[in-house]
Amino acid sequence: MIDLLTTHYNYVASILLFGIGLYVVMGSPNLVKKIIGMNIFQVGIFLFFVTTGYVDGGAPPVVGHGEETFVSPLPHVLILTAIVVGVSLTAVALALVIRIYDGYGSLDEDVIKEVQVDD
Amino acid sequence: MQLLLYGVLLTFVVFAALAVAFLRDILSAIIAFAGFSFGVAIVYILLRAPDVALTEAAVGAGVTTVLFLLAIVRTVRPGGDRLFERVAWGPAIIATGLVGVLLTTVRSLPTIGDPTSPVATSEITRYYLENAYPQTEVENVVTAILAAYRGFDTLGEAAVVLAAGLAVLVVLRKEVYV
Amino acid sequence: MSATDGSLSAYVESTIIMTTVRVVSPFVFTFGLFVMFHGAESAGGGFQGGAIVASSIIMLAFAFGIEPTREWLDDSVIRLLVGVGATTFVGIGIGALAFDGAFLEYAAYGISHGVKYGIELVELGIGAIVAGVIVSLFMNLAGGFNHDSGGDDA
Repeated sequence: MIDLLTTHYNYVASILLFGIGLYVVMGSPNLVKKIIGMNIFQVGIFLFFVTTGYVDGGAPPVVGHGEETFVSPLPHVLILTAIVVGVSLTAVALALVIRIYDGYGSLDEDVIKEVQVDD
Repeated sequence: MQLLLYGVLLTFVVFAALAVAFLRDILSAIIAFAGFSFGVAIVYILLRAPDVALTEAAVGAGVTTVLFLLAIVRTVRPGGDRLFERVAWGPAIIATGLVGVLLTTVRSLPTIGDPTSPVATSEITRYYLENAYPQTEVENVVTAILAAYRGFDTLGEAAVVLAAGLAVLVVLRKEVYV
Repeated sequence: MSATDGSLSAYVESTIIMTTVRVVSPFVFTFGLFVMFHGAESAGGGFQGGAIVASSIIMLAFAFGIEPTREWLDDSVIRLLVGVGATTFVGIGIGALAFDGAFLEYAAYGISHGVKYGIELVELGIGAIVAGVIVSLFMNLAGGFNHDSGGDDA
């Protein structure tokens, strides 16, 4: 198990981030915090992808400066666009949260459920 | 040395994420999230992904944090006398289970930085690295793939970003389209 | 922290933040433009540059208040920016069809270094889209939910 930490450290970290993200999404009653949890889960996936492209001694994928080995550029492209799409998604989710607060006067999951039952 | 650096950064990142999970005050959690994003951006630099690091630092630590701050300004910031939240045991067990199951699969992944890993030796990686400059005269292969080889994909991403902008307008009724 | 009325009550004027932002933001803005224009030769490109440009404007709004920034940078300017960006991207894509190429086939334009210029223009378009949309997301979330222009009376 310990040898995994010296050879697969990033994968272990991204799996821990999956766990923490899932916990926040499920366990936190606050809606804003759930969205933060979603972001943490997302970052775990990004870290996983970028790590797969890494090559020991590789240069950043900018060619024509004399280097021989490069890290794989494809994961970088995929993650680059995913980050920007992620922030757009976060903004839409937060807009929905603002609407929910306007309707229910609370961001607490349990309070919102009670208000719904009362209606 | 490299390993030590990774160790420090990844420990920081994971503990910042744990702080987000257990801090009761939302403002503190958001600030912890900003630190978390910045730590991840530095990890990307170590992984030789400057483009991703630049975006993560500007978007994750900057824009996303500000959007969260705006959201709590517009709603509430639940306070309380306790510093940490109580552990929700059900979700904690499920999350631990997920981590446990996934950790058993880690061993089958290639070692980090392995030059013979499937991604590093794949046909597509070699094709992009060898042909990007001769075909597009663009030195940054990431830019070449983004705008040329995967131009359609990028058009789709731009459409998603535009759609998100419109969706916020509609949800907050800044403009009435329907 | 209650902001149920239309104004943003959380804004506090701070000399330190205002001075810092006044000094730093022109450099951040220029760096963002550099990253956007220099995406072909070094790390950078539209997504990164757009995000940095947007964050420099968000920084201004943070220091000087959101309403003054909204007055200074009108909504129509942001809409124009996003529109021009999207038109550039799609226009270059469709323009290639007119030269008997495929969609987004830059080589079809037949000018020397055409592929490179095509890529850079598309990157600039992406940068405009990303910068504009992020700023407008910020402005709209800051405005909060607007009761007055509800859909009921429309």
